Amino acid sequence: MAPPKSDVPKPSPGKGEPAKLDGVALAQPWAPRRLRQVAAVLGGLYVFAVWLDAAGNGAADKVLPLPVRFFVQEAALFPHAARDVIEWRAEAWFCDAGRFEELDVRPYFPIRRDDKESRFYRAMFFHLHQRRVLAELDRFIAREQNRTHPEARIGGVMLLSLRIPIPPPGTPEARYQRLPLAEYPTSIERHYWFVTDKAEREQRCAELQGEGP
Amino acid sequence: MRRPPRSLTPLDRVRAWLEAPQPIERLELIRIVAPLVLLAFLSSRLIHADHWLSPIGFRVPYLGGSDWRQPLYLPPVSPGVAWTIALLTTLAGLCLSAGLLTRVAAGAFAILLAYLALADRLEAFTVSKLGPMIALALWLSPCGARYGVDAWRRRRRHPEAPLPTHVPGGVIRYFQIFLAAMYSGAGIAKLRGDWLSGDVLWSHLHDNYQTAISWFLVRSVPGWAWQALQYLSLTFEVAAPLWFVLPWTRRPAVVVALSMHAMIGLMFGPVIWFALLMSTLLVGCYAPERWLLRVFRRGAPV
Repeated sequence: MAPPKSDVPKPSPGKGEPAKLDGVALAQPWAPRRLRQVAAVLGGLYVFAVWLDAAGNGAADKVLPLPVRFFVQEAALFPHAARDVIEWRAEAWFCDAGRFEELDVRPYFPIRRDDKESRFYRAMFFHLHQRRVLAELDRFIAREQNRTHPEARIGGVMLLSLRIPIPPPGTPEARYQRLPLAEYPTSIERHYWFVTDKAEREQRCAELQGEGP
Repeated sequence: MRRPPRSLTPLDRVRAWLEAPQPIERLELIRIVAPLVLLAFLSSRLIHADHWLSPIGFRVPYLGGSDWRQPLYLPPVSPGVAWTIALLTTLAGLCLSAGLLTRVAAGAFAILLAYLALADRLEAFTVSKLGPMIALALWLSPCGARYGVDAWRRRRRHPEAPLPTHVPGGVIRYFQIFLAAMYSGAGIAKLRGDWLSGDVLWSHLHDNYQTAISWFLVRSVPGWAWQALQYLSLTFEVAAPLWFVLPWTRRPAVVVALSMHAMIGLMFGPVIWFALLMSTLLVGCYAPERWLLRVFRRGAPV
């Protein structure tokens, strides 16, 4: 441990030059002392808030505004066991076929499209109960599908989750792979979170029909 | 008659500990490696900047300003602006890592990372939240005084000036305290969750985060071993401040933490960037000084 502050000789280096103390050449901070003091206090409060948030006290939630709270919610990682593997999927109403079929939406969400950091997965994970967001998702998927595949136009979507049971520890199992919806057994629970209204689907299909190929 | 020297108060001792000079290599390691890890994490987003930040991709609509899922609504930007932000972020991160225009680069990197974390909740993860804090701390510090382009240019202009060997302790102490608090908070959260009795580790190994290594471990590690690993993690994390404060437990704690992060990084696909970022802070803050000196002074004398 370094000697206490009162024992340390005060250096007076030139601007930008290291201060020399007992063979130690100390890089000079550029920030004024007052700024560093304020930063130290704010840094201390930040660290305390991170700890408090993870420790589950809830005080940080009550005191901090949302954008600040967001930055302190970072330590409580994976506290709970997953009950099932959740797969988020979409089925689309194909105008020409007049029925729902699975639609692979990964091309429309190219950021980390194959894992649960995909924007589609994240949107479903965060907003599965917010119809307004799911309706926006529906419009986006329809827009992209109809723009990129005019030969397979859609009028709307069904957004759903699959709950795939996790075997007990130590059970041998096959490696994870993404399967088409049709290949999952009926025993796998499906939950439909959003379905485009029938009238909306018909209207979109009629409008697309009017636009031609 | 002379007065006896005043005894140190606890506050004096804390201040002395906080301000004790630290080897400059600790700070420069974090300055060099952390921005690269942050950019590597961001890379899969930056290459789709238009899908990320502009209306070309899916955007969550404004949710009213009081929804935790949208801490701050920032409207989408045009694709051109999105690409510009991506380019500037990359440049700022690379400059900071190279020690080129270090202070400006660190400040710009902190602002851009904060913007990216808030602009889109769907792409914000723990690394996104840690990034601005790390860049901000680097901005306030004298990082770049050694082992970078700025330092090399300074050395060429003033070859007679002594090379700094230490930095004021504050920034390193800050990272050290942050790590201890982060682990401790994480441990308490796990303790309050399912880690004592549930199969948490095992349960997270079966989805699309699964790697070849995690699948191998799923098949080869006996069921009870997962619970044992959970207890080891809990023991380390909950008492992390103690392990890092006590000199004789510090090095084993570093080894345990690095092993834990290695497992996380290898078993959970993209979580590798979080593992690498935490490992960088850990090595910068707590690795034995002579290890760091050996690495730096052998590789880059300036």
